Amino acid sequence: MTGRRWLSPAICIALPVVCMAWAWPHGLPPWRSVAILSGWAGTGLLLASLILMVRTPGVTARLGGIATLYRWHHLSGSLAYLLLLIHPLALAINGLDESPLVAWQTLSPADQTWPEWLGWLALLLLMAGLAGSFGPRLAYRPWRALHWALAGGVVLGLAHLYALLGNAVPVLLVIAACTVSLGWRLLISDLGWQAAPYQVESIAHCADRSIELTLVPCARALSAKPGQFVLAAFSDGPHFHACGEFHPFTLSAIEDRGRLRIAIKALGRCTRRLQNLEAGVLVRLQGPFGEAAAPTIQPRLWIAGGIGITPFMAILRNETGGPPTSLIHLFRSPGEAPFLEELKARSGQDGFDYRPVATGDCIPDLATLLDTITDLPARAAHLCGPPALVDSAHTALLARGVPPGAIHSDRFDFR
Amino acid sequence: MMRGLYLSSTVLFWLAVAGLWHAAEAPPEPAIDPPSPAEAPASPGRYSTGDVARHGLAEDCWMIIAGEVYDVSSYIPDHPTDPEILLPWCGRDASEAYRTKGTGRSHSAYADRQLAQYRIGTLQAP
Repeated sequence: MTGRRWLSPAICIALPVVCMAWAWPHGLPPWRSVAILSGWAGTGLLLASLILMVRTPGVTARLGGIATLYRWHHLSGSLAYLLLLIHPLALAINGLDESPLVAWQTLSPADQTWPEWLGWLALLLLMAGLAGSFGPRLAYRPWRALHWALAGGVVLGLAHLYALLGNAVPVLLVIAACTVSLGWRLLISDLGWQAAPYQVESIAHCADRSIELTLVPCARALSAKPGQFVLAAFSDGPHFHACGEFHPFTLSAIEDRGRLRIAIKALGRCTRRLQNLEAGVLVRLQGPFGEAAAPTIQPRLWIAGGIGITPFMAILRNETGGPPTSLIHLFRSPGEAPFLEELKARSGQDGFDYRPVATGDCIPDLATLLDTITDLPARAAHLCGPPALVDSAHTALLARGVPPGAIHSDRFDFR
Repeated sequence: MMRGLYLSSTVLFWLAVAGLWHAAEAPPEPAIDPPSPAEAPASPGRYSTGDVARHGLAEDCWMIIAGEVYDVSSYIPDHPTDPEILLPWCGRDASEAYRTKGTGRSHSAYADRQLAQYRIGTLQAP
């Protein structure tokens, strides 16, 4: 998978370059040329951003994994926005040669007609949509609504392009590629047309406000490995009303006959509702996504925060005779620690060293904890938990001589 | 980093828009050299194909479109697609090219309204 990581950046570079090459201006005033090139480069980057949000396992794997995909999706979308802001300003600045009034009339919606209004509306929707991503952290639903405003901005931007340039072949190609990407994302990813049907076989409480589900396939089983996650959308049950959205859940075990186990902690509106789940409920799964835990003979250090213990449970439950492994498990209180008893029971067996740490409401003292780990620089480190914990653990490990390439971290904040 | 890029670019964009609006609102400086009557635009007239043919250069480009004569010299740099596409039609009847854009589909109503601004007269009957 690592070998394909160049594909996402390559798409982000190639598409704006191709668009600019087609529209390359000759003999035009400099600011008009800037306007044309920024508009087309922004369009190319928007298209790249749309392609990189197509979230199916096959496409995701080909483009270097979901984390790579999202990183470049965000970067290309942000740069596209910047370039598309430059586009109208450069057109107006071009008019300054004639007079400030002409410059303003080039920009002012009051002096334009519907093709320019489409462009303005597209820009305002992009602005509003990105405010949802870059402004104060929103709940999932409002964030999602604002993110769909971005899709509206793209559609209006394409209409602006068509209204001004008509049916030139590159324009039609860009419109077709954007439509396919948006449609694919909506139908396959958001509506889950290709999702695999499973059924909730059993539910176990593994900690306060946390449950572990065993899911059994109704048809084809997903080919998953420890360390990976799935997107799950639950159906309604006799006494249970689901949210109907796909949410990511890490696999906590992979069992025979395609059975999968996932752990769910009540962290938001939807996961709180899922605590009342009933056996027999149907669930649609997409995936698997994420990098599978690579087999290694190198001693390991795992650091888990709260429900971030889940991928390590899948690895432990699915391997026999792994390398020496130390697991630092951070949680607020023992009652909130998923799988605490099972992990304690495994500690001391097959070189597995379990170190549970109840932090209460304090920030964990990672420095002291890491100083108790022997041969730290020789270990392969794997981090999973809240972003703040992952970031501080990453920094602390680097400071203690662990090479950057030996540190792997999971982030499941795919907004 | 991307959050900073979004916030700073959005603020700068609106500042630039406000600056352009403010510049347009300022009273214009008095003209030092008012245009002479000779330089003033002529009223719409009637032109023959021969008259139009004498304006066949990029910097002096007249076209006949649907029986009307247009001086599009100042518009050529602003044409959304490559201006080179327009140049072969300078000094000629471009009605068919305008109607089909070479692909069988016509220009938009918006383009029609823009074109009207460049009309200088009508084509004289042969």
